[in-house]
Amino acid sequence: MPKIEVSREDLFRMAGMDDPGDDELAAMLSLVKGEVDSSGGDRLKLELNDTNRPDLWCVEGVARALRCYSSGPEEHLARLPQPAAEMIVDGALEQVRPFVAAFTACGWAPDRSGLEALIDVQEKLAASFGRNRTTAGAGFYRLDEIEFPVRYRAAEPDVSFVPLGEDKEMTLSEILGETETGRTYAHILEGAEYYPVLQDARGAVLSFPPILNSQTTGRVRPGDSRLFCEVTGTDWETVQLTATILACNLEDRGSSIAPLRVVYPDGHSGETGGCPVIFADSMETTLGRIRSVLGTDLSASRVVEALRAMDYASVRVEGTTVLGVLPPYRRDGIHQVDMIEDIAISLGLGSFQPLLPESFTRGRSAPVEELADSVRLLMVGAGFEEVLRPVLTSMEKVLDMTGTPEPPVAISNPMTREYGVVRNSLLPGLLEVESASAHASYPHRTFESGEVLTAAGDGSCATEVMIACLVCGNDADFGDVHSVLGHLCRSRDIELSLTPVEDPRFVPGRAAAVMLDGCVSGTVGEVHPAVLEAWGIARPASAFELRLDCLKG
Amino acid sequence: MTDERDLHPLEKALLAHLEVNGRSTDRRMIEESGLPDEGSYRRAVEWLLSRGLVRELAREERELLQLGPLGLSNLEAGMTPEMAMMRHLSSGPSTLQEIQEDDTFDRGRWGSAFGALTRSGTVSREGDSIRLTADPSHSVFQDIWETVYVPLSEKGSIDMSDLSGDVEELVRERSPRRGRGRAEFVIVSVADRTIEITGEGLDALSRARSTVTIGAITPSILADGSWRDAKFRRYSLDIPPSQIHTGRLHPYRQFLDTVRKRFIALGFSEMRGSIAENEFWNNDALFMPQFHPARDIHDVYYLEAGAGVPPPNEALQARVAAAHRDGSGTGGRGWGYDFSRSRSLQAIMRSQGTALSARTLASDPDVPGKYFGIARCFRYDQVDSTHLPDFFQVEGIVLGEDINLRHLMGLLALFAEEIAGAEDYKFLPGYFPFTEPSVEMHILHPALGWVEGGGAGLFRPEVCLPLGVEVPVIAWGLGLDRMAMLAMGLDDIRDLVTPDLARLRSIRVRPDSLLTGKGE
Repeated sequence: MPKIEVSREDLFRMAGMDDPGDDELAAMLSLVKGEVDSSGGDRLKLELNDTNRPDLWCVEGVARALRCYSSGPEEHLARLPQPAAEMIVDGALEQVRPFVAAFTACGWAPDRSGLEALIDVQEKLAASFGRNRTTAGAGFYRLDEIEFPVRYRAAEPDVSFVPLGEDKEMTLSEILGETETGRTYAHILEGAEYYPVLQDARGAVLSFPPILNSQTTGRVRPGDSRLFCEVTGTDWETVQLTATILACNLEDRGSSIAPLRVVYPDGHSGETGGCPVIFADSMETTLGRIRSVLGTDLSASRVVEALRAMDYASVRVEGTTVLGVLPPYRRDGIHQVDMIEDIAISLGLGSFQPLLPESFTRGRSAPVEELADSVRLLMVGAGFEEVLRPVLTSMEKVLDMTGTPEPPVAISNPMTREYGVVRNSLLPGLLEVESASAHASYPHRTFESGEVLTAAGDGSCATEVMIACLVCGNDADFGDVHSVLGHLCRSRDIELSLTPVEDPRFVPGRAAAVMLDGCVSGTVGEVHPAVLEAWGIARPASAFELRLDCLKG
Repeated sequence: MTDERDLHPLEKALLAHLEVNGRSTDRRMIEESGLPDEGSYRRAVEWLLSRGLVRELAREERELLQLGPLGLSNLEAGMTPEMAMMRHLSSGPSTLQEIQEDDTFDRGRWGSAFGALTRSGTVSREGDSIRLTADPSHSVFQDIWETVYVPLSEKGSIDMSDLSGDVEELVRERSPRRGRGRAEFVIVSVADRTIEITGEGLDALSRARSTVTIGAITPSILADGSWRDAKFRRYSLDIPPSQIHTGRLHPYRQFLDTVRKRFIALGFSEMRGSIAENEFWNNDALFMPQFHPARDIHDVYYLEAGAGVPPPNEALQARVAAAHRDGSGTGGRGWGYDFSRSRSLQAIMRSQGTALSARTLASDPDVPGKYFGIARCFRYDQVDSTHLPDFFQVEGIVLGEDINLRHLMGLLALFAEEIAGAEDYKFLPGYFPFTEPSVEMHILHPALGWVEGGGAGLFRPEVCLPLGVEVPVIAWGLGLDRMAMLAMGLDDIRDLVTPDLARLRSIRVRPDSLLTGKGE
């Protein structure tokens, strides 16, 4: 979930309201699916739960939602002038970082905290929405130092300029290898033949996107009221929506936005046109569908009013059809249910009276769970303590320490080796209990019933529910667990027989395949001293493990 | 008779010993009275004193020496740091730094040993070099091993008065009155009393000898009828009961069993699934786009190449792929990206219980229908006191022709009360890729205060329609670990799966109050 940190004063000034205090704010944030994460002094940390609404991951977006909810929808990026400047795209970037969007914003002169807020949005959008600057990354510049047209061109790795925060000229490869930011994001351009740079008409390098801006043009200072903004990336929609959101934010701050014309060469997948793009996604539903989803009859006027409070660009009802157009900073309406949810949020969930379904249904336990219940009770009756162990374990515990005949299925991206495989047997878990419990009074009679993952020869895996038990103490022997098997089988009316097997986990001659009603169902034996030694267990032990469903009888 | 209770065999034995000897001391009687151990002697003598059958004539304070924690670790090492240092130096001079590389003792203890040996004149230092200046075999640091450690390893305590002068002095120096947690020795004062049998004691003994009293009732006593003429020895009934270890269900499993029973009582059928899933059931069928951050390699465990989960049928795969691409068949416009069929078949560890619901929806569920499942799910997190690599989640779905948001809220309110034991609840808009509208429930838990009570919503048409379900479906899910920790009184989540039987045995649960965590 995206988290942002904002200034309270800034938030409420932009929202056009007095600070209502934390409780009231928490209630208001349900409008943006947000929560107060922490608050102290002027700083407010918010968590925004909607991963499809990047427009809300900034103080401007949250303030806009609160403002429109109380005073109605606003016009965004309306009546933009014709593009006066151009951005020319180099076709060679098609394989590297094909898309770019840009505009200028003049009027608002950010102070220090305003500038911080601006950089926060830029970073947050690039990190979360732009997938760590891959699909989109943005930059701001001092407009007056730039001569148009700006070129977005493919450069050789030895092109050099003075990057932000450095005092000397560096080549593009040096920037990737030697600056901290360069190393962090170098993977985005890995394997590229050319690197993207933005250069103005005089050839001055503005930046090396998405890595670093230039020290001269790419350093915006408090008081700079004339800005140039660009977004580059690998995904057209992410690039455009990022630019549109930034433009709406700057407009809300008081800047006038002027679009740029981005010119792509023939045959490029980008389409020549003006930026920022004014998205106007149309949504359509019916009063009937609204009723069936929300369970409440809503009049046309209430629906219109509710959607206007959510800043819809336009809403109208024709007959029973409801037509809404999303504001330009939103592209998350992909089905009519999305618009219907906006109506519910606008009206407040508290305005819907809860109901219980009236139809009759039968409650039933899953057969395997019912069987597990009865076997677990038999084990408890036989004096066994139930344990519960993690499903993920290590290759070492399963193979090296226990000697399980079949290898477990491994995780290809384990967090740690300790949890690098999926258990295929419950016995290592029970042995681990023994090795951790030498100080607990004896005898130890433990069992677990639980899921394991077994792999068939063809690589397909299946979840199986197993039951295993282990007896450990000074005089524990084969007879201890054999008698428990007998107890389970008598209780379940199953015929038990044993077939001797060789199994490295058990003492030779004291290990057997367990046959239940004639089917191989598991293994029983006295634990081999080598296994006990590997686990650091100082007393003899015996154990069995069965497939639970074989005890169905 | 001064006391109704008959003589215990221990009391009888002690009185008989005193009858012969007249009087004796605690110390002698522990060794000579023939009672099984010191504890039995002390119990018997206290009982007899309280009943006036013996009396205390005199009392002499005595000091007993025992090993403290450092002493015990020396005993385990087989030597003290002083002895070890003398041994190092017996083959020639060395430096403290060199000796400290021997990790038999930690650096601090080597340092203290050096200090003690210097003060006693056994070693001296020139520059960094340390050498022996006296014969180690005659050192008090050697004597202390023979006269203190060796006897203590056999007896547990020895009398201070048995020690020679220089050993006693050293032992006292190392027996701090405070800070016994780091002491080498501990000196405890005990009183050695002189005890004499009283006239009542002699009477009681002779009475006890003249009547046959029965302790344990044995089959032979029942068979020969000898109990008819005998007296049953009266037992002390106020002693605490001894502890027994019994078979027992695991406390967390009991908690999960309780949740299961509640759902079944509410008319829900139980769903079961697989701990390994393919991405199709875990994510794609739930309309989570393949670029969704929660599907990242750092959020989900992937199974090694070659391990697979049986694929869903071709038609189903095609419908889900279409829903993602352009929404066709669902009334929406889809996520608009190039859906990868091969990615869909990648095997992973189930990351959300909702995978169970997806499978249920695709297998011709009852309408109206109510289903629930308790699913073990896996998360990509470092293990610490609040995170385990796997966790239990409960998931519930309700299908019906006329199901809507209001029923969702009604059911959530029911779950809040029945499953989470909530006293109050509130609903907030939420976001989940597979539901719209989405609701987050917050519940007022009797012990936790306001906490998240699970996420819920109406499944999106893009989820239901490709799976073949045309009616609305309510879905609700909640992680159970935190509630279980509370019910079990734990503050470290790792205790839920502890391998330590002693710890496990110490966790007490009351099944009747498992869900609320408070006694009712």
